[in-house]
Amino acid sequence: MKKITIPIGPQHPALKEPISLRMTIEGEVIKDADIRLGYNHRGIEKLAESKTYIQNIYLMERICGICSHSHTTCYVQAVEALCGLEVPKRGLYIRTLVSELERIHSHLLWLGVAAHEAGFDSLFMYTWRDREVVMDLLEIISGNRVHYAINTIGGVRRDISEQQKEKILEGIEFLRKRTEYYTNLGTTEPTFVARISGVGKLPKEKAIELCAVGPTLRASDVASDIRKDDPYAVYDEIPFDVCTADTCDVLGRVVVRVKELIESYKIVEFVIKNLPAGEIKIKAPRKVPEGETVSRYEAPRGENIHYVKSNGTDKPERLKVRAPTLANYPATIEMLKNGFVADIPLIFAAIDPCICCAERVVELIDVKSGRSDIMTFSEIKRKYFCEKKRETL
Amino acid sequence: MKLKPAAFIPELLRHIFKKPATVRYPFEKLKVPDDFRGTPVLKPELCIVCRSCVRDCPAFAIEITTLSEEEKKYKMTIHNDRCIHCAQCVESCPTKALFMDTEFEIATDSRLKLKAEYIYSRQKKTDQKSQQT
Amino acid sequence: MSILKSLIYLLIYPGLLFLFVYSTFCEWFDRKLYARLQNRVGPAYTGRAGILQPVADFFKLLFKEDIIPERADRVIFSSLPVVGLAIVLTAGLYLPLWNIDVSIPSYNSFQGDIIVVLYLLSLPTLIFFLAGWHSTNFFSTLGGVRVLTMLFGYEVPLFLAILSPAIVADSWRLAEIADFYQKCPFLLLFQLTGFFVAVIALQAKLERTPFDIPHAETEIVGGTFTEYSGKKLAFFRLMTDIEMVVGSGLIATVFMAGFPGNAFVSFVNFIIKTLIVISILSLIRAACSRIRIDQMVNFSWKWLTPLAVMQLFISILVKGVFWRILQ
Ligand code: SF4
Ligand code: SF4
Repeated sequence: MKKITIPIGPQHPALKEPISLRMTIEGEVIKDADIRLGYNHRGIEKLAESKTYIQNIYLMERICGICSHSHTTCYVQAVEALCGLEVPKRGLYIRTLVSELERIHSHLLWLGVAAHEAGFDSLFMYTWRDREVVMDLLEIISGNRVHYAINTIGGVRRDISEQQKEKILEGIEFLRKRTEYYTNLGTTEPTFVARISGVGKLPKEKAIELCAVGPTLRASDVASDIRKDDPYAVYDEIPFDVCTADTCDVLGRVVVRVKELIESYKIVEFVIKNLPAGEIKIKAPRKVPEGETVSRYEAPRGENIHYVKSNGTDKPERLKVRAPTLANYPATIEMLKNGFVADIPLIFAAIDPCICCAERVVELIDVKSGRSDIMTFSEIKRKYFCEKKRETL
Repeated sequence: MKLKPAAFIPELLRHIFKKPATVRYPFEKLKVPDDFRGTPVLKPELCIVCRSCVRDCPAFAIEITTLSEEEKKYKMTIHNDRCIHCAQCVESCPTKALFMDTEFEIATDSRLKLKAEYIYSRQKKTDQKSQQT
Repeated sequence: MSILKSLIYLLIYPGLLFLFVYSTFCEWFDRKLYARLQNRVGPAYTGRAGILQPVADFFKLLFKEDIIPERADRVIFSSLPVVGLAIVLTAGLYLPLWNIDVSIPSYNSFQGDIIVVLYLLSLPTLIFFLAGWHSTNFFSTLGGVRVLTMLFGYEVPLFLAILSPAIVADSWRLAEIADFYQKCPFLLLFQLTGFFVAVIALQAKLERTPFDIPHAETEIVGGTFTEYSGKKLAFFRLMTDIEMVVGSGLIATVFMAGFPGNAFVSFVNFIIKTLIVISILSLIRAACSRIRIDQMVNFSWKWLTPLAVMQLFISILVKGVFWRILQ
């Protein structure tokens, strides 16, 4: 059969953000895939260099609309490490609480998106309806549904009252019931299971070799979670399990995320019940002493890395963000190969892509000739993944 | 794992005669929490023109211009079209002259209408310099 | 008088006007029910409870920009929606609703009209394929190919399921089949399997979840309709709605004893029975996720066709027993 290349994106109903996937297909089978980035580059890293550390918190928050707390936490952790600040326990607990609520919100959102990509719109509607509960909880805690802005350098900005605690516990109880129902449904509804099981295989060795992160990696039976491997905030005090699945397919990724939801409910309950008294923040200096550091954070989508280099002024000299989605792209190519055209959106959605978070590549245009160089995938890999390996201490 | 055909149907049928979860937004509105971060508002009588809100605002949304040096008359413009509602200005203000209201329906057809201007003269005669840092 | 009656028949009831109005109502009903199943409100603002929303959508689309791809064959590309609409409207005329006499065959009710309706309902599939093929867009072509592949899956079970009541009734005429079951409704109990096979096959024919494979938006954009816009898309959508009405009307005729009574009673019968079928279609749509094309073909040859054959077998048995009792 003739091989043809079809473009999925930059504009496509399955993609909520612009990215170009070029598929070489034979009939309905994908033979090769290529990913091209750069449609949504916003120059955030450059912009960060011209803003003060305080202002940058809000800039980091806007890297992503879903894991906004992940990016700020990762960033403030780096800055706190540079300043040598000892954040009060209560502040760290509240930070953890918001992280887990965010994970719940993100995973519920993802479950809905995956269902929608599989054409299961009812599940999509129900999960998103229930997601409103956790969004409302976040709004009560922080004053906003999306950009919580709860972090500040040296702690958190808002405290939690007894009333709020009760509301959170109530909401979590409701969500736990719903999640148990969805676990049941998602793994027994024949049409849905038929769509997701055996799709987008990523064997364990490949997953490790291609540096996959987060639920994508855990669904390939690798128990890797920054919260356990390199605990930050108060995760070393909280009992929880790392969830894995051994099916290595989209079904496994669904299972991992649903299990993580249940774990997150446990963590939230633990945090609420064991919230220590005390201060929520300490005063941070405006100027950060010279130095550089790397901060790691387990975002809902996987390992998030921020690198901050300071030069003794009130503005960072360099700020580098490695969003988890970028680390999952090479694995995605592997998963897409030999799949069906019908599975493209599902496989791609299964890494929970957040495209503009990962946009750190620019199209290079030669000013004189006007010729543009599109970076090929191997170049990106060389440039960014070697870097990642070095950074992972 | 056992497959159950039509596993979703009982749940679906249960909802037919239930009240829909949708809120018909422009006609009914949900209440936002009291400490919701809406739009920043200034209480001019408290402002000491220390300019730390201007310095910390990540969106450069606050502007203070001096109208007259002798009368200590100032104009603060809050550009709500730029504001990202982070409430950092509220936190930075040493005299609690700024606060966030719960207004979120601020959409208009022109960004000029989003400008909030306050013309006021500074009340307290504290030294401006010492408030900074 | 008879000419006037025929004109009314063709243009007003149950022809053009009625089918248009009723199909928009059915779309609204389907959307509303689907929304309520998902705990949403569905169309809410146009008309009372959004009842005019499909009409509004139709007219809105009529006034939208109409684009014909440069490389497409203009004549075929533009004529397909109109031809398709004409086909399903024609099929609608054969439903034994009004202006028929069971004892006298006429132009709208004759021996073999059940076959005519079935074939007229098969043609839209071909129209969709041609629409996809002539759009010259990759996504449309893929959609068109999927339409044809699916046709091989559901057509056989649909035909077998619809024809088995006809075998028991010993007639190829819709009016007579309906009449037969009005006389002995208990025989319908034996057709239960066939009824469900037919409903599922109809769901596939209408390309609704879990069989919305040819225009799966998350996979191949709009599938067959990717290049269609404006008037033509409006006609295609209307065509699908009317196809839904005619298809459920056909199922109601052969599996639910048709629409007895005078003009008004039969009208009420028609509405109630088609709405029952459409509710089942909506429920299936809400309860499933889209399956892949290979899974669809597998499903229909592993489950639907054997069930349809079994139904045929039951029908033949019933007929044998029934005849013996009669004699
Ligand atoms: S809320 Fe934030 S963006 Fe808005 S004026 Fe205050 S500091 Fe600036
Ligand atoms: S920080 Fe407060 S006191 Fe200082 S200028 Fe701003 S509003 Fe006035």
